[in-house]
This record gives sequence, structure tokens and C-alpha cells, in this order.
Amino acid sequence: MGRHFVNVAVLWALLTALGIAVILTDFFPVVGAEYAEEFDGIFRLLAFMGVPVLTFVFAVVGYSFFAFRGREDAPEDGPAIFGRGWVPIVWLLVTGGLAIAVMIHPGLTGLAKLAADPDGYGWGETGADLVVDVTGFRWAWAAEYRDLGVTVTQAGGGELVLPVGKTIRFEVNSTDVVHSFWIPAFRMKIDAIPGRTTFMVVEPTEEGSYEEDEAFRVQCAELCGLDHAKMWMPVRVVSQAEFDAWVREHQSQQ
Amino acid sequence: MYALLSITSGIAAGLIGFYLGVGVTAAVRAIFGESPWDTQLSITVGYVFGLVGWLMGVGMWGAWGREWFGLKTYARKAPGWQRYFVFNTDHKVIGIQYLVTFVVVFLLAGLLAMVMRAELAQAGNQFLSNDQYNAVMGLHGILMIAVAVAAVIGGIGNYAVPLMIGAQDMAFPRLNALTYWLNPPVAVLLLLTPLLGGLETGWTAYPPLSVLTENAQLLFNLAIITFGLTSILGGLNFIVTIMFLRAPGMTWGRLPIFVWSMFVASWLALLFTQGFAAALLMVLLDRALGMSFFNASEGGDPLLYQHVFWFYSHPAVYIMVVPGFGLALELITHFSRKPLFAYRYAVGGLLGILGLSGLVWAHHMFTSGMPNYLHGPFLALTEAISIPTGLIFLAGLGTIFMGRLWLRTPMLFAMAVLFNFALGGVTGIFLADVPTDIHLHDTYFVVAHFHYTIVGGEIFALFGAIYYYFPKMTGRMYNETLGKIHFWWMFLGFNATFFLMHWPGILGMNRRIADYQPSLEPVNLIISIFAFLLGASFLVFVYNMVWSWIRGPVAEANPWRARTLEWQTSSPPPVENFPAPPVVRGHPYEYGVPGSVHAVVPGAMPAGAPAGGGGK
Repeated sequence: MGRHFVNVAVLWALLTALGIAVILTDFFPVVGAEYAEEFDGIFRLLAFMGVPVLTFVFAVVGYSFFAFRGREDAPEDGPAIFGRGWVPIVWLLVTGGLAIAVMIHPGLTGLAKLAADPDGYGWGETGADLVVDVTGFRWAWAAEYRDLGVTVTQAGGGELVLPVGKTIRFEVNSTDVVHSFWIPAFRMKIDAIPGRTTFMVVEPTEEGSYEEDEAFRVQCAELCGLDHAKMWMPVRVVSQAEFDAWVREHQSQQ
Repeated sequence: MYALLSITSGIAAGLIGFYLGVGVTAAVRAIFGESPWDTQLSITVGYVFGLVGWLMGVGMWGAWGREWFGLKTYARKAPGWQRYFVFNTDHKVIGIQYLVTFVVVFLLAGLLAMVMRAELAQAGNQFLSNDQYNAVMGLHGILMIAVAVAAVIGGIGNYAVPLMIGAQDMAFPRLNALTYWLNPPVAVLLLLTPLLGGLETGWTAYPPLSVLTENAQLLFNLAIITFGLTSILGGLNFIVTIMFLRAPGMTWGRLPIFVWSMFVASWLALLFTQGFAAALLMVLLDRALGMSFFNASEGGDPLLYQHVFWFYSHPAVYIMVVPGFGLALELITHFSRKPLFAYRYAVGGLLGILGLSGLVWAHHMFTSGMPNYLHGPFLALTEAISIPTGLIFLAGLGTIFMGRLWLRTPMLFAMAVLFNFALGGVTGIFLADVPTDIHLHDTYFVVAHFHYTIVGGEIFALFGAIYYYFPKMTGRMYNETLGKIHFWWMFLGFNATFFLMHWPGILGMNRRIADYQPSLEPVNLIISIFAFLLGASFLVFVYNMVWSWIRGPVAEANPWRARTLEWQTSSPPPVENFPAPPVVRGHPYEYGVPGSVHAVVPGAMPAGAPAGGGGK
């Protein structure tokens, strides 16, 4: 019996090492905002916590499959182990402890960070260097730069241009059905609900554009009917100087 | 031809009812000076009348309705295969009706998945327009939801639960038949949706879109409210059956784990299904009568729907997967030839899921703009569900470890449930955690996650149970080699398809789209190829089932040497299940305990099969 425990432990360790190796590869889209780094970090942390749990199940199931085969023709009974002793109690303590640990960190701590820093990222309703009013309608986006007199629309071949290193608050609305305002490079999304305004604050940290990476785009993430798949608009993050020039150019046009 | 008579009179009475309803609507509208036809109203009233007509015509009138008027009831005694096409109250017939119906629906909805994967194999629109894709995707979704809700509970549950507890039938046999015969209209309505513009909203039917969209939505709402009724009535029937019809000696502590899981799932169905029905009824009222529950400009609120809808639809995933857990543990125990490890903790785990499942719904709404203070509690409660679920894993892993595994097809499927659901459970943490869910919500990561839990957890258990009960239901044995080929083919195809599917989700591929960004093309092509492989595996299954049902070798009464009661009678069992009422003496899972006896069935055992306590 002891031999089986050792074998399972070895298999578990090997599978866990394999799982960790997979996690360490870079499978994330481009990082375009402060929050994106946060997301990638939490994702990896959860994966580190999850992999040993997963590989434990894989190891026991896989090992049992090979090591505990009974006779194919005439099945015989195994040992009458009922599992009434300390094993379930230990299991309950360990799994309960893991669940509470993951609830607290990165769960509630991550949430607290999200809520405490409305100027940095999150769903804050105040504070920002730039406010953009976003409207979703079937099946396009429009973004109006508040106080700058500039509006870009998906229909007009527009591009959501944002200055790097500044906090930007999006105030999101919908005129018809539920949409969702999502920029994969920033790892942030918030639904656009008719009749209410929702908020999303981001701080772009890298310059980039849709031409360089498709994660720089506004994508509708909530099924909104016919052309839902086509409801997206490119995003370009530029330096403050370029942004100012872009604003002046568009102000003169409009 | 009783079968033909039953179905045709059902259709005829249904059509008469429909036109009667349309006529009544027209008459009432005419009195108020309105035009006689209003699409929403006329179809709704016509459907309600038609549904009653269909039920009466198909046999409810003779078996039940006549009683209300003091007349003598009668049942159509249909011989042979025809008994599956009449208003039959035998739980074994109803179980097989459910199972065959929903396996057919499963294959159909799977075919729709193949169409979607063909479209998604390349970026751009290949052969489906955006609205056609939405219609295919919505139909795939709702049909598969129906399969997941009804195939195990209605099929395996109906067949096995009364047998396992030593009862003659369900508590309310006529209600049981009514529950089954409500399903064909649901299937007809859903399959008609492409003719009325196609579903545009997926199976979740979020307003305002579901209020504004094509009339296909009307059929969807009527169908799903009816389907909800079957769930509620079925749940009620199972609860009463399990509480009051257990054989003498079948205490709660001796209840087979699958029966426990059915008990839990039935409570979930009874308690929560009204949420879905209420949400869809409000959409219906918005559409038909302009009631503005969800119209913001008239003071309604679209988020109201999401709360009511998910209040059912999250517990619904446990309605689906809990009986899957029960089946997996049941099969694992019999094929490990070892007692179910930590039985009481496993039951506690099932009850813990029942307790927590109603408190987690808003984790589907982390990005919906609901108040921020709700995020913490729903994050914590959602992750807490991993604790009772962990107990299911304790029982499963503890049972196979040191067992004498008899690796027949049902056992392979049951072990795969542990394997698949472990992955589905771990990826669930990423979606319960608010900071990661903000990005992953509504992406292919979610698609991969719920296919791992529902297909990997429940549908694998369903197929295991189909192989397990095949000899009991048909009296014939399936082909073991083909069964194992089906398992490995499906297992590898499934894992290849859906493990890979997490990745485009992380990269930024949202779900429910006919077209995606060009850079995602290679991974989607590979996923599509694996998906076709997965789809093809069911050809082996269908061939095996059809051939074995007709030509398979005659099976023993208890080919699995299992100790539970359903195997202590002939295969297939007589109408009254047991020749004499069984008496339960001990625990069902005492494998390896010398002299242990689960139950005694007087005069039941056919020659050549081990007796009720055959553990030696």
C-alpha cells in the first residue's frame, strides 16, 4: 500500500512540473494597460494554485487505471475500505483551507485593489485625466471625447485614440440592447446597459495599435443580434503629443 | 396501430386547439374593436389551447381526463415497441422515451455544433450569414440545455430510481406520463424557430434584444416555459417518490448515491425553475402586451431579467451535473468492487451543493454594472462551492484507489467524469475571481469551461449510464469493443477540442460570433478539426446501440454483479418491477464484506445470476 502512495506522489509531482511548465509559457495577448499586468499576474497565480489540484486528480485516476486493474473475466471484490475515519476530515480541512485561501487572495484582495483605486483602474465613477462617453448601438460604437469636441464612430471608419500614461474614464451607455465594451489589450470590460451609465477606468501603459496587435480593439462582448460579430473598432494608444495633434486635427474637421 | 392512432389524434386535437385559441383571441379582440390577428397574442393563446388539445389527444383524456367528468378511465394497451408511442404510465417506458428522445436531440444539436465549427474553421463568413450563424448557435445552445436538463433526470432517473429504491413505479405515474408528453411540443416549437427568423439571442434570451427581435423568440419563450413545467413536475414527482416509496429497510443512510443525487437535483428543479419561467414570461408579456418590464425608457430595467434568469440558470447547472456526479460515483463503486468511500461525506457534498447553489447566481454578472458591493459576496460564495464538490472527488478517488477496477465501458466513462470535471472545476475559479473574470467573461474561455463541466461531467456520465443500463433496458448486451472505441475516441476528441478552446478566449476571442480576428485563424482551424473528430465518435455509438438492441446477445439479469436493487430482478424487469416487494437489509455498497446483504427479493432471482447479496 505504501508503494502505491509513493508512486502516486511521484506521478503527481511529474504532472505538476509539466503543468507549471505550460503555465510559464507566454499565452497572453499584448499588455496595453496597468490592469492587464495585474490580470496576467492573478491569472498565473490562480493557475499555480489550480495545477496541483488538477494534477492530483489526474495522478490518482491515471495511476489507478494502470495499477489497480481487476480481472477482466470474473470480477473479485477489493478491500472493504469505507473511508469513515480521519481521511475525510483531513480532506475537508485541506480543501476548505484552499478554498478560503483562494477566496482571500487573490480573490478579495484583488477586488479590494480594484475598488480602492478608482483613478488607476476599475469601475470608479470619479477622477481621470480624460473622460470618453461611449455609446453602443446595433451594431457599432461611438465615442465622444468630453470637453474636446471630438467624436469618433465605427461607422465612419473611426479609431479610438488614447494617450499613454493617462487615466481615462469611459462612461458607457447603450441606446437599444445590452452590449459590452471590451478592450482585450487592457483586459477590461463593462456592459453597456440601456437606461443606465456604467464606468470603466483604464490607464494605457504601452503605445500600440490594432495594426500591430489585434488585442488593441473595442469589441462588443455581449450578444446583441445580427452583426454582433462585426461590432468592433480599432484602438490606438499614442504619446500625449501625438494625441494632442490628433485632437486638433479632428476639432478642425468637426 | 395504437402508436399511429395516439400520435395522430394528439396532433389533430392539438391543431384543433390551436385554431380554437386563435379564434377565441380573434373574437375577444373583435369585441374591443381590434384587428382579429395579433401575432404575439394569437400564437400564444393558440399554443396554450393547442398544448391542452395535444395532451388530451395523445392519451391523457382516456387515462386521466375522463375521471374529471365522472367517466371511467382507460389506457391504450399497446404491444411491443408501440408502447413507447402512447400515454404510458410505466416509469421504465417513460425513462426509455426520455432517453431515446433526448439522445436524438443531442445528436441533432451536435450536428449544429459541427455546422458552427465548419463556419469558424476560417476567419470571415464562409457559408453562414451572421443571422444564420446566430440561429444555429442559439438552437445548439437551447437544445443542448434541454438535453442536459432532461436526459439524465428524465431518462436514467425515471428508469432507475423506482427500481433502486424497490418501488413499483413513481409516486404519480400519470403525472410522469404528462411530463414526458409535454416535451414533443417543446421540440417542435424550437425546431420551427428558423422559419420565424431564427433565434438571435442565444439560449440566455437577454432583453431588450429578446423583446425587440424576430418572432422566433416567441416560440422559444413558449417552448421553454413549457419545458420548465416538465422540470418542476418531474422534480416534484421524484421528491415524493424518494421520500415515500422506498422499500422497507431502505433508510436514508442506505440510499444509493445516484438516488441521493436525484433527490438533490429534484429539489433544485422544484425550487429554482420558476425563475427561468418567470423571466421568460416577463419577456413574453413585454412582447405581447407591451408591459415594459425591461424597457428602460418606460421605467423597466434590463438587469432585472439577468438577476431573475441567473437565479434559476446557475442552479440549473447543478440540476445538470449533480445527477452526473451521482451516476459517476454509482458506476465507480460497482466497477471498483469496493464500498463507496466516505459515503456520508459524499451525501453531505451533494446537500452542500443544494444549499449553496441558490446563492451564487450573480457571478454571471460581474461585468454587468451591478453595484460593486455585490462582487465580494458572490465571489466568495461561488468559490465556496468547491468545498462540497471536493467531497464528491474524495468519494470518487477514494473508491478507485486500491480497488479491483473492472474497466468496462461504463467505468471508463465514469472515471473520465472525474478527469474532465477536475479541469472544468479548476477553470471555474478563474471565472469566479472578479479580476480575472472581467477579461474572461463572455469569451471562449467560458465556452471551454462550461463544456468541460457539463459535457465532461454530465454527458460523459450519461453515456456511461447508457452502456451500464443497456442490458437492463433492452435485455441485450452492447458490443464491448465498440463501446471502448467510442469512449477513447470521444474522450480524446473532447479533451483536444475543449482544452485548446481556452486559449483563443484568453487571447481575446469573444463567444457567439460568426467571424473573428484573422490572427485567431490557425487555432480555430485546429479546434474545428478536433471537433469534427469528436462528432464522428457518435457514429460508433449509434451503430453499437442500434445493432445491439436488435441483434445483440441476450444479457444476464445482472451482468455487472452489482448489488443495488435494480439488478436483482430480470432484464428487462416486469411491469411491476419485482415479483414481490423487496426488503432491504443493509448498505448497497458493502463490497468485500463477507456475508453482507443489501436486499432480499423473494422469488426474484433468475437462474445463473448471483443473489442479492452476491459479494463473495
